[in-house]
Amino acid sequence: MPIWNQHLSRRRLLKGVLATAGGVAVANWGGLFHSSAVAQDAARRSKRCILLWMNGGASQIDTFDMKPGRPTGGPFRPIQTNVNGIQVCEYLPRLARMTDKLAIIRSMRTQSPDHPDGIYHMHTCYRQSERVPHPEIGAMIAKFVGNPDSDIPSFVRIGSTGNAGSGYLGPRYEPFSMGHDCRMPYFSTPISTPQTQQRRGELLRFLEDQFGAQHRAEPFLSHRTSEARAQRLMRARSVFDISADWPRSQERYGNTDFGRGCFMARKLVEAGVPFVEVGQENYDSHADNFVCHRGNMDVLDPAWSGLLTDLQERGLLQDTLVVWMGEVGRTPYINNRAGRDHFVRAWTIVLAGGGIRGGQVYGATDQNGREVRDNPVSEGDLFATIYTTLGINPRARHYVGTRPVWATPEGAQAIRTLLG
Amino acid sequence: MKVDMKLIRGLILPIFVLLLHVTQAPAQQKAPLSWTLGWDADWVTAVSFLDNQRIAAGNKLGQILVWKLSEKMGEPAPSLRLDGHSNTINRLLTSPDGLLISASNDHTIRIWDTGKPAKGSDTIVLNDSARRDKLERKQKPPVAVEAKVQVIDASRVLSGHKDWILGLSLTKDGKTLVSGDNKGEIIVWDMPDAREKRRLKTKGWVWAMAVSPRGESLLIADRIHLVFDSGRHAGLQLLDMKTGGVQRDLSKDKDFAKHMYAAAAFSPDGKIAAVARGGEVDGLNGKVTLLDPATGKKIRELTPGHLNGATDVVFHPDGKHLFSSGRDTTVRMWKVDDGKLAREFGQPRGGQFKDWIHAVAVSPDGRWLAGADMAGAVRIWSLGSR
Repeated sequence: MPIWNQHLSRRRLLKGVLATAGGVAVANWGGLFHSSAVAQDAARRSKRCILLWMNGGASQIDTFDMKPGRPTGGPFRPIQTNVNGIQVCEYLPRLARMTDKLAIIRSMRTQSPDHPDGIYHMHTCYRQSERVPHPEIGAMIAKFVGNPDSDIPSFVRIGSTGNAGSGYLGPRYEPFSMGHDCRMPYFSTPISTPQTQQRRGELLRFLEDQFGAQHRAEPFLSHRTSEARAQRLMRARSVFDISADWPRSQERYGNTDFGRGCFMARKLVEAGVPFVEVGQENYDSHADNFVCHRGNMDVLDPAWSGLLTDLQERGLLQDTLVVWMGEVGRTPYINNRAGRDHFVRAWTIVLAGGGIRGGQVYGATDQNGREVRDNPVSEGDLFATIYTTLGINPRARHYVGTRPVWATPEGAQAIRTLLG
Repeated sequence: MKVDMKLIRGLILPIFVLLLHVTQAPAQQKAPLSWTLGWDADWVTAVSFLDNQRIAAGNKLGQILVWKLSEKMGEPAPSLRLDGHSNTINRLLTSPDGLLISASNDHTIRIWDTGKPAKGSDTIVLNDSARRDKLERKQKPPVAVEAKVQVIDASRVLSGHKDWILGLSLTKDGKTLVSGDNKGEIIVWDMPDAREKRRLKTKGWVWAMAVSPRGESLLIADRIHLVFDSGRHAGLQLLDMKTGGVQRDLSKDKDFAKHMYAAAAFSPDGKIAAVARGGEVDGLNGKVTLLDPATGKKIRELTPGHLNGATDVVFHPDGKHLFSSGRDTTVRMWKVDDGKLAREFGQPRGGQFKDWIHAVAVSPDGRWLAGADMAGAVRIWSLGSR
């Protein structure tokens, strides 16, 4: 059944409006354009997703697809993991002990080799050059898996992450963005008492309702949606307060921005946020690739392994998909700046949890890591796998004007061997 | 008066060329390149003179070769291969009694007696990479440049470090060796027994390190190489070798704060220290700074800096000159007393980004200068009789 979201009728708008306890009408976070059957199915299973975004593009050869002894190998050495036959970089020792949870896709072959287009493509599975404004994976998951009754946002970004936003899904699914240090945006802090805030809000909404009855334009809807979200967020902001718990978790996650972001992600999915993206910087290592990656892995290893451990201990890992990826891989060739440049012909992405079958490697590259040897995986295939895991139909259809668009491009196939 | 336009037109180009030459030509005298010791297995990353006739170099694969130099012969071939390391050679030093000491990314320090009997011999191909490249492109490879080498193992292997060892320094009498790694562990070794005497700790990864000639002070540059993250760290400290305490934290000084230093050295009399900014820095900021170790104050900055960063710094045995290498394929000789650039060796090579000279060394008699060239060679220049 097609999902209409562009030509929004008043009836549909009203259907999506809820009455809050205080009698305040607030737009539904995720319910307006919901495909009820799929959403109910996903909600029943309470699937969630955390995307660990390696901004700039991590090197596959220096992490999960090592080439020791080859001219492309670099100075890092592989270590044995807890899965026989799978090796990872020596600077990922904690993850090496959790490799039975990881599904390592070594055969990514993608199409967008630079940062803006790569970031867009790896967040939407569509090229940036297309005229249709595609939604990020976070918006799509928020729509299909999010709880429309929740006060907290359904799509949260921490640090440097995606660049597409909610695209054709509309303002309701725009991300809620936090700083790399998990600082809340300024608008989320009330400047007056809750009672005053509520009275002011009611007055504002009354005036806007009057105005809105005569002006049903998209910008106005967008404005009202954002405002409603801010109001709701102010009520729910305690969910974002990790000051009491973080000191006890620093050792597990590492006392870094990214570690804190991963801890925040765990807290948020536990509180019901269906999608959280946490960005780690510093991967665009055209120069000094090895010291860059060494520094990054010192941050990444405890943060990522701490997140998986925490999720597992709390019984959340089975229903929380953790995706590790960036916009590009890095060249096997080491340039004269001791760097590696962008590379999209053969690189690596890792999935864990959420029902993914861990302890396996999918696909392979040649001996120098220059080409995919087995089972190439496209952006669409990856997204189809992620959506399938989360209970979202990869061929879910929307309309932009009269034009149908699908969640993943035609021909995209979920990787069945990764699905548990 | 009639103007001869033809003559003017004819003069414009020569005048322009002359002006260009006058403004761009380096004021320094170019030194003659005496030898290029080709070895293209991988980047040559470290170099040290064993004596006035023999030189050792290490590469990114962990291999070390020794050449014997002679002014009476042409391009010398390596005579010795030192087997044992399995990862990048970061530093090579020679002790006063002629032992070679190497520090590697394989977490070990190895001490080599190059006079000991060989365990065997082998034939190596010095242009193997060039040949392999051609073959991969299905082109005719160049003729193999072969050398027969004797092979020896290390006399001692020091395994106290658990990470990449980038810092290595020796006192003038050779009795104290100091090494530092990427976990911030610093080990002080009693030589020649290589007995671990003390451990010190820094916050970041030890990158550059120099112990004063008489062993009172240790100059340490450490870092945590993160570009944007709040965990980024750049430190520069003078430590007291007796107590291990901090004598001076130079990273709090505006002249040194936030800079990462790839190399450090003390002058032979210990009265001056030099640090060289490394990593990929903007423009000509790969500068060497001279400082007074007694006060921790900057003496002067040597300009221009190396394009995109400096890689190594070493004093000439006369103490009056200093050499620096960089990511611009050049080695520079500076006058210590006034900071003037005296000579420049090598030429910028590469595209937008140049090849690196990774490390430099000067022979004990001060007559030869060697540079470890990323392109797969050791370059040796004559300094004449200084």
